[in-house]
Amino acid sequence: MGTINSAMALITGALDADQMALNVTSNNVANASNQSYTREVPNWSENQPIYLNGLAQGAGITVTGGVSQRDRVLNQRLDQQQQLSASSTSLLTALTTLQSSFTPAPSSTSTGSIGTDITNFFDSYTQLESDPASNPLRQQVLSSATTLAADISGAAASLNAQQSSIDQSTTTVVSQVNALTSSLAQVTQEIQSASPNQDAGVLEDQRQSDLSQLSQLIGINQITTEKNGLSVTTTGGQLLESEGASFPITSGSVNGVTHFFLGTSDITAALATGGGQIGGLLTARDQSIPTTLASLDQLAYSISTQVNTVNNAGTDLVGDNGNAGNIFNAPTQVAGSAAAMAVVMTDPNKIAAAGLGLGMGDDSNALAAANLATQSFVNGQTPSNFYSNLVSTLGATVSETATQNTALTASVTQLQTQVSSLSGVSLDDEASNLEEFQRSYQAASQTFTILNSVMASALNLGVETAVA
Amino acid sequence: MRVDPFYVVNLSSSLDQTQASQEQLTQELSSGLRVTSIGDDPVAAAQNVQLLNTIQQDDSFTQTTSLTQGMLQVTDSALGSVVTQLNQALSLAGQANNGTLNSSDLKAISNQIAGIRDEVLSLANTNYQGQYVFGGSQTGTTPFTLNSASTPATVTYNGDSDVNTLVSPTGQSIQLNVPGNQIFTSATANVLGTLNNLVADYASGTAGSGVADTAALNTALNFVSQQRVTIDNSITRLTSASGTATQEATQLTAVQTNLMQADIAGVSTQLSLAQSQQSALIDVIASLGQGSLFDKL
Repeated sequence: MGTINSAMALITGALDADQMALNVTSNNVANASNQSYTREVPNWSENQPIYLNGLAQGAGITVTGGVSQRDRVLNQRLDQQQQLSASSTSLLTALTTLQSSFTPAPSSTSTGSIGTDITNFFDSYTQLESDPASNPLRQQVLSSATTLAADISGAAASLNAQQSSIDQSTTTVVSQVNALTSSLAQVTQEIQSASPNQDAGVLEDQRQSDLSQLSQLIGINQITTEKNGLSVTTTGGQLLESEGASFPITSGSVNGVTHFFLGTSDITAALATGGGQIGGLLTARDQSIPTTLASLDQLAYSISTQVNTVNNAGTDLVGDNGNAGNIFNAPTQVAGSAAAMAVVMTDPNKIAAAGLGLGMGDDSNALAAANLATQSFVNGQTPSNFYSNLVSTLGATVSETATQNTALTASVTQLQTQVSSLSGVSLDDEASNLEEFQRSYQAASQTFTILNSVMASALNLGVETAVA
Repeated sequence: MRVDPFYVVNLSSSLDQTQASQEQLTQELSSGLRVTSIGDDPVAAAQNVQLLNTIQQDDSFTQTTSLTQGMLQVTDSALGSVVTQLNQALSLAGQANNGTLNSSDLKAISNQIAGIRDEVLSLANTNYQGQYVFGGSQTGTTPFTLNSASTPATVTYNGDSDVNTLVSPTGQSIQLNVPGNQIFTSATANVLGTLNNLVADYASGTAGSGVADTAALNTALNFVSQQRVTIDNSITRLTSASGTATQEATQLTAVQTNLMQADIAGVSTQLSLAQSQQSALIDVIASLGQGSLFDKL
């Protein structure tokens, strides 16, 4: 047996529910351009029916709020791809800068390329063979040596400069990471206290946004824990955030290079392979650049040492029979010899073109120096072939990274599309919902008006009276 | 099935990509190079290094041979003149030996042969651009000095026996000089020594041992001609090696150019395609993404 009062209460409940639904829709529309916002759908829940004399009587409807439409698994997938993509992008940027020191020479007369410099230097000895006592030809040997040393040491200097600038960038990235992990800890705490058993709506949006930003910076693993909690570790397994507590990454200098620590363990190597922007930066700093620099060092060391040896094994124009002096700065060890490569000989007469004990017309030592070009004294290869291999190795790395980067960017775009399809606000959807709720509200309020006049009739005991 | 409400944003990132590809193609066109960085084509970049190395070596060798040819030509013509002089000396000695001349005639011939000896001596001291060509490696010292105090006069060699070579890019070793003591004062046939002997022989007014010395002079002349052949060989080999080097350099330059240069026609086509793609994309973006159901409410 229903009562008019209960009907009115029911309809009032409906009006409230419709208003709530309209609120949810308005919130969606307000956040339509916010890409990190997850759209909400009003959660209609039918009230428990009331049983009177064995008859069930409906009790209307309530809207308990919006339910965020998100797929945690999909979001995590997107985060993982973004880690890989960000790592690849930052590595590619570093490699593009790195390869600019080794631009291919367009023709045999172009300058500024280490490859052509090497050939020019040994060719200057070939020319000296024709007239070993000639001053202009000797000057040419020294000037081509100077060009070679300048280009090699210049390339080494750029590489070193790039390495220290990347070093600084990594420190910046790590401080951003630390800020994000502490914000993440805070949000997780709030979520756990506010809605431990269901999706936390706006708070969850914030947490997902933090996670997304974090993924672009550093490689992470996400582990959901009980009561809507979250633990975040690096891909190497080091704990960054857990149970509302965050652990900052600290930095320190080891052998002149910045290393990163969590607690007391050095996680630099793990970070390099872990992904994220810092992964790419550390790979460039600790692998790509040092490898190229080591090759340059080997080239500089071998050339300097061998040419010096040959020059000290002949006779020059000022009477030195052996030990005429070094042409290049003599390196003590392979590491650092590229940056230190320079010509120390100033007097062209001290170039030992003649063999030991022979007169100034002899060219046998100039011949020996020119022959170095075809001898495999740089790590088992001729200097030209060694440089050619350096170029092809580095070029292959760049090319491979570029291809990978294109593929990863495309896959991130695809996943992003999928996430947006699910969680993005579609204005058409919201417009049609708005119409629906409006109609529903109108119907409910119309019903209320009718119930109101029925009530008036009942009160006035059947006499039609207008409702004041 | 829901669609991505932000797809217009993705379209604009495609616009970035077409823009980037246009920029790259324009750069290729303006520089004329297909490979502007080693990452574009690592294999081509590596090949380029090796090709340029060979081309430069060939070019440098060609330059060197033109410097050397001059010296070799001078050496050759000096030896040619020596042969002429020795022929003259031989005919004079022949005259002296036939017994028909009197004492004063013989003394006159002695003086003439002395003149020839001086001429041969100055040829042996030929200087090319400040270097004595017959001194071995001692190109700064006069190779032969004459001591006329004794009878017969003696000649001292101040140089050494060093032989210089030039190595071609193919590894061929080409001799650049012949030491003076090998041509003019060799133990087999001593040109200057024989001339000095002849001068001494006829100076006294009699034939003396002129006949024996004349035979020695004949041997010496043949010997000099042989030495001249060495120089002529070097000239020939140098010319041919230089020709080979130039040819190789030309061929390899063509290969290197093909490897590194942009195919202008191909790049232009790609560029116009990219441009039309971009303008089409802009039109699409402009017309889509407009309006939603809200406009009709």
